[in-house]
Amino acid sequence: MQPNKLLKPDLYFEGSNDREGATVRLKGGRCRCGYVFFPMQSYGCERCGSHGNALTLCELSANGTLLAEATVHLHADKNRPAPFTIVKVALDDGPVIRTLLADDSAPVAPGQRVTGRLAPVGQSESGETVLDLRFSIAS
Amino acid sequence: MTRSLNELRPVYVVGIGWHRYQNPSETPYVELGLTAIRSALADARIEWPAVESSYVATALLGMASGRPMLRHLGATGAPLMHVENASASGSTAFRHACIEVASGISDVALAVGVDKRNPVRRSDTGIGHLAEDAIVPFTHFALLTNEYAVRHNATAEDIALVAVKNHRNGAKNPNAQRQQERTLDEVLGGKRVSGSLTALQCTPIGEGAAAVIVASEDGIRRLGIDAGRAIRTTASVGRSERVYPPGTGFDAALTKETADLALAQAKLAPKDLDIIELHDAFTVEELHYIESIGLCPEGHGVRMLKDGALDIGGQCAINPSGGLIAMGHPIGPTGIGQIGEIVMQLRGEAGPRQHGGARTGLAHMVGVGAVCYVHILQK
Repeated sequence: MQPNKLLKPDLYFEGSNDREGATVRLKGGRCRCGYVFFPMQSYGCERCGSHGNALTLCELSANGTLLAEATVHLHADKNRPAPFTIVKVALDDGPVIRTLLADDSAPVAPGQRVTGRLAPVGQSESGETVLDLRFSIAS
Repeated sequence: MTRSLNELRPVYVVGIGWHRYQNPSETPYVELGLTAIRSALADARIEWPAVESSYVATALLGMASGRPMLRHLGATGAPLMHVENASASGSTAFRHACIEVASGISDVALAVGVDKRNPVRRSDTGIGHLAEDAIVPFTHFALLTNEYAVRHNATAEDIALVAVKNHRNGAKNPNAQRQQERTLDEVLGGKRVSGSLTALQCTPIGEGAAAVIVASEDGIRRLGIDAGRAIRTTASVGRSERVYPPGTGFDAALTKETADLALAQAKLAPKDLDIIELHDAFTVEELHYIESIGLCPEGHGVRMLKDGALDIGGQCAINPSGGLIAMGHPIGPTGIGQIGEIVMQLRGEAGPRQHGGARTGLAHMVGVGAVCYVHILQK
């Protein structure tokens, strides 16, 4: 079996003890002022301006509550043909993120519990299955 | 000690002009801009050499577009600067023209906005993102529409009524890109864009130009400008996004803090406003922003809309120009065109879309980033 390849390894990684890719952790950051953000960056804290060692990697759970959803009917970029659905999720660990709903997810509505998973989105040139983060209703 | 605009010497809008906002065409930007500037000079009844400084607002024309346009007015050697601040470029140019005159550095300044619909190019920050390439502005606001509808139990029909009103206003505005009344069925039945947003609930980005001339009392006297048609800028505030509590919509929060500061500067309450021109690029924004400005409590915007309180002739006319939805949003000109509309209304020169007895108007723009600019004008 070919190994999997993550589409955006700077933003998330596969959780341990899970070769099926069902668990994903997000690469967020935490400032010494307490502010938690996503994704990790070292330019400086948006809340207090601290930088350098003040900012450290902070793993975030991909569980959260749906704030909003929108199915996009028109999109100019041919690489991402519409329709697709964007979700806005308040992560249990703090940050609010916006990303794609899994193609096979049931319809979602604000207030529902959702969870991020790694889903196959294509094949790399060397034949690996490429995985990207997608949300769906929490099981 | 720092001071706000209205603590400096008074500054007045004395001339307004446009090139109609329109669908993309072959017309060069130079012609669009010159049409608006000459129209504003004619409105003020002054000649170009009287203008001591120019602020050129443009987001999509590229570097140094001002001088190839302004030279055709007769090269006076006066300073000019370009202002790019996304959708708020025009509002920002107006603020700095006002500051220059209020500070006493110049007596007469021009703010002109001009743009063509060119591709938007933004530089990479070096920070990755999950799917931001899939979330264009209409989807950002489709998400806010979904949140607003669920939180306040508003239907897609309720929110679409904003577009019905603004198309009705735009139909009476010869400078509007869209000049056609639309029924609720037409608005809802149009092309679906994102979430519950349809094409007629979204601004039609186009091209055009808008210009305003501002002057001090010294300038007005020296040039023999009709002081009876001059409208004073009594507040100017610019802000940028802060970190708000998780789940708080930054669009509404930023508008609230900016509008609160502007109202305090002019010593006014929201109920004193007769006219508001605001950033209704998408229908839900109008509801968010009237609530943020304080016309009504959060979630009560639909009720005001249905009661006709936001119509021309109502309690406070919102977007009598047609707003970004109907008048259009050529980017650079938009914030300057709002000022022109308010001046026209406060002079009582708005013809079929005149809001009777208008004495106080507020102009509001947000720009991606996010930034927010609010100005108040008073008769």
